[in-house]
Amino acid sequence: MIPSGIKRGTAELVVLSMLQGGALHGYEIARRIEQETDGSLRFTLAALYPMLYRLEKQRWIRGAWETSPNGRRRRCYRLTPSGKLKIFPLRKEWSELFAALHHLAGVSNA
Amino acid sequence: MPDWLELVRLRLTGLALEKDDLAQVVEELAGHLDDQYQSLLDKGISEQTATKCVLQQVMDWGELKSKIESSRLKEQTMNRRVSQFWFPAFLTILLAMSFLMIVEALGFEPWVSSAWGGPQGTVPVAVVYLPWLITLPFIGALGAYLSGRAGAPPWAVFASVVFPAVPYLALFVIGLPTAVVLDGHVAHNIAISAFLVGFGVWVVLPAIALLAGGLPARYFSRKL
Repeated sequence: MIPSGIKRGTAELVVLSMLQGGALHGYEIARRIEQETDGSLRFTLAALYPMLYRLEKQRWIRGAWETSPNGRRRRCYRLTPSGKLKIFPLRKEWSELFAALHHLAGVSNA
Repeated sequence: MPDWLELVRLRLTGLALEKDDLAQVVEELAGHLDDQYQSLLDKGISEQTATKCVLQQVMDWGELKSKIESSRLKEQTMNRRVSQFWFPAFLTILLAMSFLMIVEALGFEPWVSSAWGGPQGTVPVAVVYLPWLITLPFIGALGAYLSGRAGAPPWAVFASVVFPAVPYLALFVIGLPTAVVLDGHVAHNIAISAFLVGFGVWVVLPAIALLAGGLPARYFSRKL
């Protein structure tokens, strides 16, 4: 399990990357992150929603209520154009960080 | 099955968001907990254990509340400040200044005040437009009403009401002393008594007139 300090720094990139595939609601975002990282990254409700609200305030994502066929209302988040633009520089920053760590301490970003 | 909506609503009691916004947050978080609960039940976990697991999603609801507030509130705070203070304050000052100009333009004779101790009528230090002073309680009442209607705290209501007196306060507290220091030829050869009379006429009297309307308006609008 990745410690929360490191996770916090990468969280924005993780969530924005998840939303690249299309609109998702909060629980689905958390579930997919856990599934796709084999449980290394896990976002509790307490960690996920304040970040979603912050990203929404920064206008990188936009939430909208949608009703599923079974009548259940869920707030689905999708990337905004500025959110899409933000992913590339964020990825670049993290790649540079991993490259620097690899150079210094032999940490691989593979 | 736990009532997640009620549980989240209770745990988020006191969250400082607008009513609609709060309802949306409660519904969204309750939906998340319910999704997780159902998923655990689907895996064959007992209701009791599933409930326990789901509740572990939030170890500290107080911390979650403050995180949600800080992540959602900044923009709201700005809007709230505008509606609770800046809008009523600028409206009251605009109205007060406009009425003063109208009163002057209509040719009302002001009451001219002289410095205490000086020869009466020879050292005018302040002019009082009574018709203007009479309008100020109404302007103060409007400021208090608008500010109070936006849910402003008492300090914001008070500041909105007395805001038209602020430029004169600045003039007497900053402008005149600065002018005296920088320029020896200040009009009326300002003495302490003249300063006090001017301060009373241009700052204290308007502030009292504004509050005379603003405080009752605040009181009665809270009763409604």
